[in-house]
Amino acid sequence: MPSPTPEWVKALKPSGPQGSELLQQERAQSNVNVEKLSELLHTKETLKRQESLLALLQPEKVFDKSQNHTLGRVERLQRSLAKAKRLQQLSEQHKWSMEELHAANELIGEPTPYGLHASMFLVTLREQGTPEQHKLFLERAQKYEIIGCYAQTELGHGSNVRGLETTATWNSSDKTFTINSPTLTASKWWIGSLGRTANHAVVMAQLFIDGKNYGPHPFVVQVRDLQTHQPLENVYVGDIGPKFGYNTMDNGFLLFNNVKVPHVNMLARFSSIDKNTNAYSRPALPSLVFGTLTWVRSNIVLQAGGVLARGVTIATRYCAVRRQFQDRDADAHAGENQVLNYKMVQVRLLPLLASMYALHFTGRGMMRLYEENQSRMKAANSPGQDSRGAGPEELRAGANLLADLHATSCGLKALASTTAGEGLEVCRRACGGHGYSSYSGIGPWYSDYLPTLTWEGDNYMLTQQVARYLLKSARAVLAGKPAGNDTSQILQTYLDRRDKGASFDVLEEDKDIVAAFAWRTAHLTFEALKHRDAEQRSWNSLLVDFWRLSTAHSQYLVVKNFYDAVSSPELSSALDPETKALMHQLFRLYALHTLEREAAEFFSSGAVTVRQITLTRTTAVMNLLDEIRPHAVRLVDSWAIPDWQLDSSLGRYDGKVYEDLFRRASQENPVNDLTFDPYPWNSALLKNEPKSKL
Amino acid sequence: MPDFTDKLRPSQPDGPSTLAKEREQSNISTEELGKHLLSSDGFLERQARILPILQQEEILSKTKQQNLSRPERFKLGLVRAKLLRRLSDKYKWSHDDYKMAEYLVDDVSPYFLHMEMFITTIREQASEEQRAYWVPLIESWKIIGAYAQTELGHGSNVRGLELEARWDSQTKEFVIHSPTLTASKWWNGSLGRVANHAIVVAQLLLPEPDSDRFVSHGPHPFIVQVRDMKTHLPLEGIVVGDIGPKYGYITMDNAYMLFDHCRVPHSALLSRYSNVNPETGLYTKPAQPAVVYGSLTYVRANIVHHARLVLARAVTVATRYTTVRRQFQDRDGDKRGPELSVLDYPTVQIRILPLLATTFALHYTGQAMRTVYQNAREDIEKGDFKSLAYMHSMSSGLKSLCTMLAADGIESCRRAMGGHGFGGGSGLIQLNNDYLSKPTVEGDNWMITQQVAGYLIKKMGAAVEGEGKGGDEMDARFRAFAREKHAGGLSWGHDILNSDRDIVKSFELRATALAYDAYEQRVIKKKDWNSLLIQLHKLSRAQSQSIMVTTFFEALSADKTLSASIKTILWDLYRLFALNTMENEGYDFFRFSAISQSDLDALPTRIQDLMSRIRPHAVKLVDSWMIPDYLLDSGGNSALGRYDGRVYEDLFNRAHRLNPLNRITFNPNYWEDEIVKGSGVEWSEILSKL
Repeated sequence: MPSPTPEWVKALKPSGPQGSELLQQERAQSNVNVEKLSELLHTKETLKRQESLLALLQPEKVFDKSQNHTLGRVERLQRSLAKAKRLQQLSEQHKWSMEELHAANELIGEPTPYGLHASMFLVTLREQGTPEQHKLFLERAQKYEIIGCYAQTELGHGSNVRGLETTATWNSSDKTFTINSPTLTASKWWIGSLGRTANHAVVMAQLFIDGKNYGPHPFVVQVRDLQTHQPLENVYVGDIGPKFGYNTMDNGFLLFNNVKVPHVNMLARFSSIDKNTNAYSRPALPSLVFGTLTWVRSNIVLQAGGVLARGVTIATRYCAVRRQFQDRDADAHAGENQVLNYKMVQVRLLPLLASMYALHFTGRGMMRLYEENQSRMKAANSPGQDSRGAGPEELRAGANLLADLHATSCGLKALASTTAGEGLEVCRRACGGHGYSSYSGIGPWYSDYLPTLTWEGDNYMLTQQVARYLLKSARAVLAGKPAGNDTSQILQTYLDRRDKGASFDVLEEDKDIVAAFAWRTAHLTFEALKHRDAEQRSWNSLLVDFWRLSTAHSQYLVVKNFYDAVSSPELSSALDPETKALMHQLFRLYALHTLEREAAEFFSSGAVTVRQITLTRTTAVMNLLDEIRPHAVRLVDSWAIPDWQLDSSLGRYDGKVYEDLFRRASQENPVNDLTFDPYPWNSALLKNEPKSKL
Repeated sequence: MPDFTDKLRPSQPDGPSTLAKEREQSNISTEELGKHLLSSDGFLERQARILPILQQEEILSKTKQQNLSRPERFKLGLVRAKLLRRLSDKYKWSHDDYKMAEYLVDDVSPYFLHMEMFITTIREQASEEQRAYWVPLIESWKIIGAYAQTELGHGSNVRGLELEARWDSQTKEFVIHSPTLTASKWWNGSLGRVANHAIVVAQLLLPEPDSDRFVSHGPHPFIVQVRDMKTHLPLEGIVVGDIGPKYGYITMDNAYMLFDHCRVPHSALLSRYSNVNPETGLYTKPAQPAVVYGSLTYVRANIVHHARLVLARAVTVATRYTTVRRQFQDRDGDKRGPELSVLDYPTVQIRILPLLATTFALHYTGQAMRTVYQNAREDIEKGDFKSLAYMHSMSSGLKSLCTMLAADGIESCRRAMGGHGFGGGSGLIQLNNDYLSKPTVEGDNWMITQQVAGYLIKKMGAAVEGEGKGGDEMDARFRAFAREKHAGGLSWGHDILNSDRDIVKSFELRATALAYDAYEQRVIKKKDWNSLLIQLHKLSRAQSQSIMVTTFFEALSADKTLSASIKTILWDLYRLFALNTMENEGYDFFRFSAISQSDLDALPTRIQDLMSRIRPHAVKLVDSWMIPDYLLDSGGNSALGRYDGRVYEDLFNRAHRLNPLNRITFNPNYWEDEIVKGSGVEWSEILSKL
């Protein structure tokens, strides 16, 4: 236990002005209606739910966060399982919905070993299982009688699902499948919740019937004994070891030595083997399988806004409290300047503040598109049975929208998670030295978030899908097919106006900004098409161009979604005119800052002139920073992230930054319980420990 | 324990055969290039000599350290640091030998500040008498010291420090006191648990003559004992401890420290440059106030030089792993062949190969900066301070740029490796965690660029006002630019695609034009300093990039010893570094006519050509940095960067056999309080530790 704090230390205050006073001033100088804006972002119900969950969780000792960053890996995971258990108990006791459980998990702020059971295992069983399989697996899984995970990626294979090496061979003699790992690289790897917790797994394996490979399919496989929790015979399973972050999750490896599972264990809603004839039937609607992934990605985009908001909230509040140097032009007796007043701090933080709003609104837009698509597909399906499928026209309509959404979702997932991940690091650095402390709350959060940049498809690999889709759309437009969706429309517009020039007034007209982004995307698309079709360049040599194209397209989509959101009647009716105007300024800052950073592409596509870029940089962006600056603290307050969730000394709502840093260092830090012997030649390591440790 | 996994092999082609092929296809001699890079100061010889000694010591094995709690990991760090000091005695190591051992073990040593800033400050700022007293104590490790400058509320702004040292003319002592909580020293390495002495930087308060008021004479260094030499407990009136867990630097005990009216003798003030007369209480000024920043400049120079090896380590891991790792068939190629090496994708190349080129750029810049520092140091020792401003500004700008390049580079390499880059086996995690402190320590990267810009604006002012003679190369260039600008004829026409020298000129022109712009805004148009900060940051960056490109070019031009095959590839690396930098900031170059529109449009294709020329040599080029597997093992194992390419075997071995978590069995049922099966780890036990 730490030694008691001496009275003279307790009596010390930070030098004035106090953090609490500075934040009060910040809040006083802006009249953004925080409550209204919060409700617009999150809805009233969500905010209320957050409040009641917080009241429930915070007093529970098991959810204490103070030692999260000092524990060793083994102890940390034990603690994490205890948290997961308690959450599930509370969930049962209070009859939480999925959303409530999810919200509770968000407040806890770290993944738990039940994570993949509660998400991918249940979702896959539900979406890909037959009614018989639902009874057999899903119902028990929902009661946690069996605990599962989703085992797809392997030691040697990530994004390329077709390259998986685990096999499932059909045995017609005894109606079973043999699951096997033929090589070391076939080992399942990175599988969340599998390392120490799950007793079942949905295993993706190459299906072989009569020596013929039918591609990867999902199988439910029990991997541990339900009593002893030891691995079953010929199953080799364990945790893959410490990681950059995510250390409260037991990501696992898994190898099979010819393990047999019964016929019913292949999830058979979309494809199956007839037990008697050994005949394989094809997936009815393969696009539905991609639907899940698309939904996951839309979610990543929506969440990216919230993820970034944590970093921006912390950095903005801290930069308002932290003061450094006098203003060079101010008189010599002035106090030190708030760091947030420095232009080079503003230029790092305020565009990120705009980005978190941009991503939030874009995620919302995508979810809406996804839901529209689901209902169209359902409508297309509804006349017949599930297995019969729809007529060709309806199918194409659905597939067309799905293709648009799928291409959209993977590009945006890449852009959004990169923006959030890199944005967090920018926030951490903007906090100066203290950003490096775990008590800043940014570093640990960043480490846990980083895998999002590579999972569900590596961000760089994903960009190829966007490019492929854009090239296809461009060919269709050139062939004179009618422009049915937004993508074809912007390509068509470009073709129509190409010879007249663009002349967008990006400095004055918001909708011209959107048009300039569309123009640049269209220009890059036709450039890439020229390289590929006319010049016959290899796909591989164009990957960098494709990556640029995908980024440009995704930035266009964010700008467009942001613009649609700020001009929507929904927003107008929810906000007072002043706050609404501020939303427009955030839109402009996001868009113009992006434009300025990508200046060369905007210029060479002819979307804007050099003069416009110079004015954007030297005048427009600078003015926007000045206009938004006074509202920065209220704009992050509106995100309504509770202190307990932020878990940050620097980002506290009340601004008591230094008191809290000092308290945690001196009272919550187990290293200070140790008194060392500092001399190399003395054998004792600790003063009260006589024996040598060397 | 044998099991069926023992007989499993990775699928073919495996890592060793892939890397063997890579090494066959390049004709460059890693030995020759390695010598060129690393032998001038005996680095390679030293590495070869020290490495086997370290590898014999079990406690220096890195395989399990990532699993430890903070207190346990800190203990391990201290035990290792003690062992290194003992080995140093046993093998009679020089200081450079010791530094090599520290570099290879790759823990931030809890003694680091004792051996660096503590003794350096005494050497540079103590009077002769003080040095005679303290240096032997420090060198023999009779006392262990730290350097305490930054505070809870103050980092880069040294003048804003709050800790007070008030002269008591009665007792002839200084009273060290923390008037506020924000005056607490903070972040000071080696001080949290280890040091018993510290250099403490405090505002020197002296009584105003004929009044009872005190006046601050600015921050000054004092040497203060902080812990008891027997019990190692803090002395009366001092509260000191470790500041808690951090993003990295887990084995360093960064400190907080508060003083309650602690008295230290007159001799505590380090008085080589400034002093207080003990009789009169009068202050004597330093000959040149900037000199107190001397050690900071030294630290920055070292940070720059070190950056090459840090980045080289990350690039080594990423290059080897992305050749071993295969993903997808080539879309235009044979669909039945093996999947492509990931490094054959231009989207991977563009992330790794420019960084490979950057390691070489950092190398030549580091060399040049050391030379400049040594020359300036000699001048200062002779009492000549005129090179100080240049050195200070250059070191600020380069520290900012080079640490940013290395820190961001490590992270780019880690991400280019996909999922496994996130795993403990990447070997880049502790490197990332530790190195990410660099962009904010020793002067925040954004703040310190102001110093460069301020310096350049002043120089430009002198050039414009026609101080027409003498000065250095930069003065001449600035004068030429100002003349041309005045004459209104600005056409330069550098042929950057065909002339290596023109690339240098193009970088110089852009930096010069930005300097002129900044001068015009600030001096002619009298714009606020604050409104110019972003522009000033760009200026500093442009100037530092120009220095890097110039030193790279000059080093290659001056070289007479390298073989033709190496020389060819080094020139390609030079072009890749310069042109890729240019492309990233294309608009700036274009705006100042440092590049033509057609050249700007041609850059992406040229960069891709350069990358395909460098690609076959990539593995050999990283091999030339001669980074031993033991070092790549940072933070417990780079399975991914192994020289022999046995990536997957190693990853599996570590997960399966070396992971302590796999020795316990969980009870996964949420309605049961037991956490670990049969071990008695229950709910209550976990709660009791909270």
